[in-house]
Amino acid sequence: MERVKRPGPYVPKSTLKGGFPRVSSKILAFPVLAFRCLAPRFPLKRFCSKMLAFPVLAFRCLAPSFRSRPVVGMLALASSSHRCLAPQAIFSGIFSGTVPEHSLKRFYSRMLAFPSLAFRCLAPSFRSRPATGTLALASSSHRCLAPQAIFSGIFSGTVPEHSLKRFYSRMLAFPVLAFRCLAPSFRGRYASTLGRMAQRSAIVSRFLWLLLAMSLLLCPSALNAQDTLIKSNSPYSPAKFELDIQPILTARGCNSGPCHGKSRGQNGFALSLLGFDSDMDFRSIVTDARGRRVQPASPADSLLLQKATSQLPHGGGKKLEPDSADYQTLVQWIQAGFPRINETDPVLTQVAISPDPKPLAPGEELHLKVTATYSDGSSRDVTSTSAYQSNEPAVLAVKPNGKIQAGSLPGEATIMARYMGNIATWSSAIPRPDPVDPKVYAELPRNNFIDDLVYQRLAHLNIVPSRPASDSQFLRRAFIDVIGRQPTSDETREFLHDPNPNKRFALIDALLERPEYADNWANKWADLLRPNPYRVGIKAVLSLDTWIRDAFRQNLPYDQFVRGILTARGSNWKNGAVTIFRDRREPDEIVTMVSQLFLGIRLDCAKCHQHPFEVYGQHDFYSLAAFFSRVGYKGTGLSPPISGGEETVLVKSSGQVNHPLTGKPLTPKTLRGSEVQIAQGDDPREKLVDWMVSDSNPTFAQVAVNRIWAELFGVGIVDPVDDLRATNPPSNPKLLDQLATHFRTIGFNQKELLRTILQSHVYSLSSEPNQTNRGDHRNFSRHYRQRLRAEVLADAICDITQTTQSYAGSPAGTRAMQLWTVRTESELLDAFGRPDPNQDPPCERIPESTVVQALHLMNAPAIAAKITDENGRAKRLADSQWTPNQIVEDLYLATFSRFPDPTELSDLVSEFGKPNNDRRKLVEDILWSMLNSPEFTHKD
Amino acid sequence: MLRRNWLQLGVAGLAGGSFSNLLQLREACAASMPAGKKPASCILIWMDGGPTHFETFDPKPEAPVEIRGEFQPMNTNVPGIQICEHLPKLASIADKYAIVRSVCHNQGNHGAGNHYMMTGAPPRIPVGCGAFVSFHPSLGSVAAKERPAPHGLPPYFSMPSMSRSGGPNFLGAKYAPFVVGGDPNNKHFRVRDVELPNGINDDRFQSRRDLRHLVDRLPRFSDPATADPVVAVDEFFQQGVELITTPEAQKAFDIHSESDATRDAYGRNSFGQRALLARRLVQAGVPFVTLYDGGWDHHSDLFGALKTRLPSWDQTVAALINDLDQLGLLETTMVIALGEFGRTPKISTLPGQSKAGRDHWANAMSILFAGGGTPGGQVVGATDRQGHSACERILSPENFVSTVYLKMGIDPDKVYYTPSGRPAHLVSDPTPIKELM
Repeated sequence: MERVKRPGPYVPKSTLKGGFPRVSSKILAFPVLAFRCLAPRFPLKRFCSKMLAFPVLAFRCLAPSFRSRPVVGMLALASSSHRCLAPQAIFSGIFSGTVPEHSLKRFYSRMLAFPSLAFRCLAPSFRSRPATGTLALASSSHRCLAPQAIFSGIFSGTVPEHSLKRFYSRMLAFPVLAFRCLAPSFRGRYASTLGRMAQRSAIVSRFLWLLLAMSLLLCPSALNAQDTLIKSNSPYSPAKFELDIQPILTARGCNSGPCHGKSRGQNGFALSLLGFDSDMDFRSIVTDARGRRVQPASPADSLLLQKATSQLPHGGGKKLEPDSADYQTLVQWIQAGFPRINETDPVLTQVAISPDPKPLAPGEELHLKVTATYSDGSSRDVTSTSAYQSNEPAVLAVKPNGKIQAGSLPGEATIMARYMGNIATWSSAIPRPDPVDPKVYAELPRNNFIDDLVYQRLAHLNIVPSRPASDSQFLRRAFIDVIGRQPTSDETREFLHDPNPNKRFALIDALLERPEYADNWANKWADLLRPNPYRVGIKAVLSLDTWIRDAFRQNLPYDQFVRGILTARGSNWKNGAVTIFRDRREPDEIVTMVSQLFLGIRLDCAKCHQHPFEVYGQHDFYSLAAFFSRVGYKGTGLSPPISGGEETVLVKSSGQVNHPLTGKPLTPKTLRGSEVQIAQGDDPREKLVDWMVSDSNPTFAQVAVNRIWAELFGVGIVDPVDDLRATNPPSNPKLLDQLATHFRTIGFNQKELLRTILQSHVYSLSSEPNQTNRGDHRNFSRHYRQRLRAEVLADAICDITQTTQSYAGSPAGTRAMQLWTVRTESELLDAFGRPDPNQDPPCERIPESTVVQALHLMNAPAIAAKITDENGRAKRLADSQWTPNQIVEDLYLATFSRFPDPTELSDLVSEFGKPNNDRRKLVEDILWSMLNSPEFTHKD
Repeated sequence: MLRRNWLQLGVAGLAGGSFSNLLQLREACAASMPAGKKPASCILIWMDGGPTHFETFDPKPEAPVEIRGEFQPMNTNVPGIQICEHLPKLASIADKYAIVRSVCHNQGNHGAGNHYMMTGAPPRIPVGCGAFVSFHPSLGSVAAKERPAPHGLPPYFSMPSMSRSGGPNFLGAKYAPFVVGGDPNNKHFRVRDVELPNGINDDRFQSRRDLRHLVDRLPRFSDPATADPVVAVDEFFQQGVELITTPEAQKAFDIHSESDATRDAYGRNSFGQRALLARRLVQAGVPFVTLYDGGWDHHSDLFGALKTRLPSWDQTVAALINDLDQLGLLETTMVIALGEFGRTPKISTLPGQSKAGRDHWANAMSILFAGGGTPGGQVVGATDRQGHSACERILSPENFVSTVYLKMGIDPDKVYYTPSGRPAHLVSDPTPIKELM
């Protein structure tokens, strides 16, 4: 038995589900009411499909609401409130993509059956057009074109072509009506065109007008006849958004970070960064801003094109020439009704650059060609729509059209071409033009495999390495590199006088056993790992520092060092490694650090979008983050700025990381690897480290050796040191591989690795360039000078002046190298660029020199006090019975780690003979002048 | 979405295209700079902690007592503008500055608020109250990069300490502030590192440099292709020497050469004398000076503390503006006073405290903006009747920093590249506060 329904507009969903026809009889009587009732309550799709069953009714229902449109529209514009646009929105929703295509077809076919009715229904809404249209045009904003856009949507590609034809043919049957309906909207738009034509034809008759209008209508392409003369370069007809349009946007930089690709877009127009989100880009262009960016009825008037060609003011300037093929592709695509790819369309599989890489002569030019290959085996030339980048523009510059030009300097460079998220690289060497006799290389000293590999590279580039450094240069360099301090006068004297031919190797062995080794290398690693104490708490930072120093004191193998950090659990007061997890509390926070530090892969980009220079995307990012999904916390969390509580990091029995877009939980998956199943109760982090340190992951060892190499040579084989990717290739791939293999073979023993590198002949080269290598910065044909690190410099000043520095909160005798927090106040350390813990990421150290540094060494009261200290070196030397010769020699040994040469000695000694010179003041002044010389501040 | 767009459309339609207006305005600002007009320098008075807007530049006498507080408003010399009664000196020169009452944001803790106001960029991750964070270059560091100073002077000073988030971030150490600690009110005050140390006179400095000439024999690799870092060091050493030996530069640091009357006018306290030093620096050509002025975080004892603090603060800031004006420098020097946010409308007493105060409130704040061609005697924007939130001309920190940049002749729409190659917009919304331009 059917229940009696309550009167009123409420129509229960269930009733409609099964029996719309039954209800419809009531609705029929009150179409307007019905529409008002139904519209808000029903999912649009269902509503439309139901309506399709009753076209006449539907139109009668809809018509009134459209009749009200002119009034509302005017009202809306006038009062700038447009509360009443809902009906139109629904209507346009019917015509645009929100309704499935098959329903649309049915809808149109129904409409075709009742053309006059359809037009009667539609007409009112278009009648309002002249007013609004004129207004819009008058204010030179083309923002009010919505009704026309809807209308043109009917005529353009959103309706299948065969229905269109039928639609037109029906229209022909009712020309007058059609014209009455359509004319106003076109009058606004093409008033000038029609007017011109009318004048030319001399006979202005309404009928002719009609014919003209109809012909325009029936042949929309006639409007753009001249446009179609230039053929677009798309092999697919019509052009598709993903295949043809997005590459243009990417190549022109429209969706780059500084322009519309930034998260907030630019002036309201936002595209996904480098086009990683096609749906978003399509919406932005086609539907957002009421569709005003594209005009299928007149593509050339599309805002998208008018802006890009700078016909309208465009912050980005002219990005597109109206006579270019890309422009035509866009026109054609808009005209065709914005087609997108479907399942049967081919997908991009590969991008390749031709011709094959070859060495270039300085100044040589070459046109690169980029070819995209698709899943259907087809390929096309995408040279003009690819984006290019050179990793060494000075060596090899690249233009937006793919033309490369070698610079005047010899070297290596890699060109990256990016086309729709796919990347191809092209590496080339520009050797010095004058060949070098192979004998030169054959005769060079070789201490181990490093020398071989470096010479091979240099031979390839016709570069000859610099001569070897002097003993004193080597001594100072090795001391600073291995233990972070200068040799004392005695150590220097002893080494320089040592006749042992193997004294350099002996020195390396001795240095590696010095206790300062641990502090020096822990200090470097603390830069990379130490969080902000104001965030995680002082005690947590101290315990992390202790943990790191301990690891280096024991020479903990690197794989175990990393495992200790990444699988840390327990209290942040007892196990310092836990502090990392205290700081980075979410899987996505820790994973960026892990991938950058230990895998040399900068995943940060992939957190939000496809990495611009890499293969990684969000799925990779969050799948890797899933290894940290079971990290749990107990105890007192963060409470900045003190954060003093004790917290325990533990492993939960379960936990998951979801994909941020799909919301689906992700199984932990290694980068470019496979999914890893984690048993209940297991720590997924163990599995991650297993994979990281395994042979199947080459980057773990590579990034480690590269970092150590960069510490010694000032520049990594890959630079930046933690950015390993095809588009940032190593300057010497074989060297990187061999070193990584070596590191693995010796069980990730850092001291052994250091020994190997320090023993190489390459390490002992002079910094002085010769004619062949003066432009070399990456191939290790000479030593590259570096400024001393802040802590090394601070300690060296104390050692040289024979004074001590007290640091707040640290016991007496603490050296700068031993400070465990960058919060310890020191003007000197700040001036010389110790990392700023406020910085994100905090690990960047500033290697540059600055005027502040110069001023500090010159004038700082603290340094002045050290020079003139009552117990300092200057006073002791002045008070001693030493001759000027001895004094000068001692100062040179202590500060520059060498003996003065005869002219230096005689010049300075003669200063002692001058009558006005006070001995102590003179010693102080010499000391000052040495500390202010780059021979002291730099490692040569 | 649709409705909003329509709204914009309506307004735009009537106003005749607001976008193009905006572009024109920006172009006009940029173009107006080189035409004979000197880009402005900036003295930023950073009231760390978040000064109350009620008891400074946005009094609400009509509000209930628990909101309007104990202080009364005071008429200024500009009819219609009222400020707090404890700022009488500033009240007498209201024609020389503008008050912006409607900058607001959504970062209600110190670390994040400091970052947003000091850099124009919201922090990228949630930031706690005690945090000192940096994700973006600060106003001063950008100024340092874009506006070098003469005579080897550092272009960006911060006194007596660096403000939170006042660093250069990816621009590099070169553009970090030159921090001048110490108390310039002290008889023996000296600016660190820019004067010869005690006991070293010019002659001895000369002989030291002569000795250095003998000692410094490290070969320089002068071929630019070699990029020898030591070559840059020589440049910096020379710059340092110039700073020491140029009387104009040295004069900038010599606060003791000011007359007693001037020093008294600024107030014989460390903040007052720092402001005077800032004026000297700007006079010598330094483009950016931050006067870090902490302790505005009045959760408790707001009225007691301000009763003693405001008068001397008032004296200093008014003296600074007057002094710059008399020296003819106000036209080319901005004086800006603000903190990271305003304070809660409702007065409350924290548990364990006996005296009432106000808490953090980022929905409204007041900014004093004088000089650099800023039309004075005006109030930009307004908060609602009870000072809860900005309700007229709602402005963002981005608008604020864009204004500062434009006045300094720096394009806020500039794109920098981080060392890793990531593009970073200087300001994401480069629209200035047009009333101040």
